[in-house]
Amino acid sequence: MDLLQAPPRGLFRESHGASATRMDMASAAGMGHDQMKFELPGVQHPAEFVSQNFSPGTYEDNGKRLKFSKGTTTLAFIFKGGVIVSVDSRASQGSYIGSQTVKKVIEINPYLLGTMAGGAADCLFWERNLGMQCRMFELRNKERISVAAASKLLANTMNYYKGMGLSMGTMITGWDKRGPQLFYVDNDGTRLKADGDKPFFCVGSGGTYAYGVLDSSYSFDLSDEEAIELGKRAIYHATYRDAYSGGVNNVYLVKETGWTHVFSGDTYHHHDKYSAEREAAANP
Amino acid sequence: MGDGAYSFSLTTFSPTGKLLQIEHALNAVNKRGKTSLGICATNGVVLATSKKVASLVDLTNFQKVNNVTDSIGMVYAGMGPDFRLLLKRARKQAQTYFRQYQDPVPTEQLTRMTAQIMQEFTQQGGVRPFGVSLLIAGFDDDGPQLYQADPSGAFFGWKATAIGQDFVNAKTFLEKRFSDDMELEDAIHTALLTMREGFEGEMTEHNIEIGIIDESRKFRVLTPAEVRDYLDETE
Amino acid sequence: MTGKNCVAIASDTRMGAQALTVATNQERVFKMNNKTLLGLSGLISDVYTVKQKLDMQVNMYKLRENRDMKPSVFNNMLSSFLYARRFGPYFIEPIVAGLEGPDNKPFISGQDLLGASVFTDDFVVAGTSESELFGTCESFYKPDLEPEELFETIAQCMLAAVDRDCLAGWGGVVHILTPDEHIVKHLKGRHD
Repeated sequence: MDLLQAPPRGLFRESHGASATRMDMASAAGMGHDQMKFELPGVQHPAEFVSQNFSPGTYEDNGKRLKFSKGTTTLAFIFKGGVIVSVDSRASQGSYIGSQTVKKVIEINPYLLGTMAGGAADCLFWERNLGMQCRMFELRNKERISVAAASKLLANTMNYYKGMGLSMGTMITGWDKRGPQLFYVDNDGTRLKADGDKPFFCVGSGGTYAYGVLDSSYSFDLSDEEAIELGKRAIYHATYRDAYSGGVNNVYLVKETGWTHVFSGDTYHHHDKYSAEREAAANP
Repeated sequence: MGDGAYSFSLTTFSPTGKLLQIEHALNAVNKRGKTSLGICATNGVVLATSKKVASLVDLTNFQKVNNVTDSIGMVYAGMGPDFRLLLKRARKQAQTYFRQYQDPVPTEQLTRMTAQIMQEFTQQGGVRPFGVSLLIAGFDDDGPQLYQADPSGAFFGWKATAIGQDFVNAKTFLEKRFSDDMELEDAIHTALLTMREGFEGEMTEHNIEIGIIDESRKFRVLTPAEVRDYLDETE
Repeated sequence: MTGKNCVAIASDTRMGAQALTVATNQERVFKMNNKTLLGLSGLISDVYTVKQKLDMQVNMYKLRENRDMKPSVFNNMLSSFLYARRFGPYFIEPIVAGLEGPDNKPFISGQDLLGASVFTDDFVVAGTSESELFGTCESFYKPDLEPEELFETIAQCMLAAVDRDCLAGWGGVVHILTPDEHIVKHLKGRHD
């Protein structure tokens, strides 16, 4: 079984297009996605049909694009001590807050983290699927998969289902032979590597606010403590300004030895701290 | 005319500071209008008016006392057609008020709005003042009330008053008879006695009309039979 | 919300454009006279415009009639005011709360943007957290509360409700009206 050997799109569609087949969850859990069968709508052009009728609606345009920015703020950046991943925990259904305690960092394996933005089910399912593929790689090759390869697996999956209405905006981070790594992957099949002088990504509706904080305060030479603080601060300001972000702030630190969950705290308490700071800055 | 050079125009003051057309309008009320009077008692208001007309007129459909709203009634002295226009306007104002606030228009507000129309007819081009004075009776949150509005647009609240031909004598009579603790029944009798003072000929249920409002806050015009009863009581 | 001889209006203090939180100290509850409170949720420019126009009408009424406008009369006036804009409405949802008549009977009502009134004797809700507020109010409301208890109840209803609404929160304010007092208290809420 070849990991990257997905059947050509045309073939896959052809065999399922006219008469829909069942999805066999048992086989889906045990094998790569070349064996998986999703039940497709029995119409001429399933992709078109799905994206027209089942693409997850967003608060802004109800069914049209912008899917990756559904109510979330997630960010990750590389610095000298490794990678910081900092996320909020709000899950919204329209303007309704479904949960304030969602874990948006998916622990793929002890060396790999993925973040969640967009459709919760899509992120959860495909990152778990990615974990499975990474494990298969390890068993076959007797070494850990690189972050570049892992993110490419996910990007390939996204590309395979492109146009079918999946909604996912994720960051894959980890530490491999090449050091700390950070990639951005979304449901369009986009895959970007973080490097250069702005080695960070922010994903989600609150991302713009988080970028504002990172752009003004980021430096590669941050200490671990400073980096964690920057992660918290960026998420706080995003939750403050963005209606669709909030809840608990979770911060992860990726090191050569693997990731650690370094902070988890309610943004409610962040407000006391940061608003006091703001007051102090305004009235020196 | 004998009123000098200043009676030609409605809106030109005479050197003595009078608007003669308005004086003339008042004459139409107090020299030619049949007497009307009103008394505000502790628990209600009565309006009474004389309906003396030529003997051949059919009085069955001739009504001078009218409802403006359920809780406000109005009578006049002077020109009937002018009154009908004011009544129409007053009713419309009352309904407009009710439409906006879903609350019955207070008597004072209705009087003010009606008097304002009368004032506008003293200053506008191409119109003449109304040849009527009005008596407006109502019962609202502020209790029973009686108002008078004149062709000039002036209006006053009264305990008891009279307008029309015999108003001077009637008011003198009312001054003597009125007391602050007077109740409605007493006021009705007093009203009839006052009417009788200057009445030429016999008062009957056909040439006298009475409207009353009591604590039920419903203004109504008495039927001829009821008027007959009151006349009998005051014999 | 109604209590024993008292009424209260609570509101959050967020002002935003869609997802963006622009300000967190927005007042939208107003005292129209000694016996009437008005709460306006919706487009903030319309909130101000409507408030100013109503102030004018209330003042004119007072000058004309030499009496304060009753809450119910204010409600009806507001209703005809809004329906006059039937084909170009103000984007607001008003709530009226007041004390009616000499015995200070609590009066509350809510309207839609065209002026259709609902009258209740317990509570009315409006705005983005409407559904959540229905839930909290149905659970916490009790009749005949004293002003202090009413404050506590309405404050908790508001705070709990906006914590389940993305578009509301960032602090709150409660106005309590008793026959001889108008009390304003600010609430601390979540800022996310």
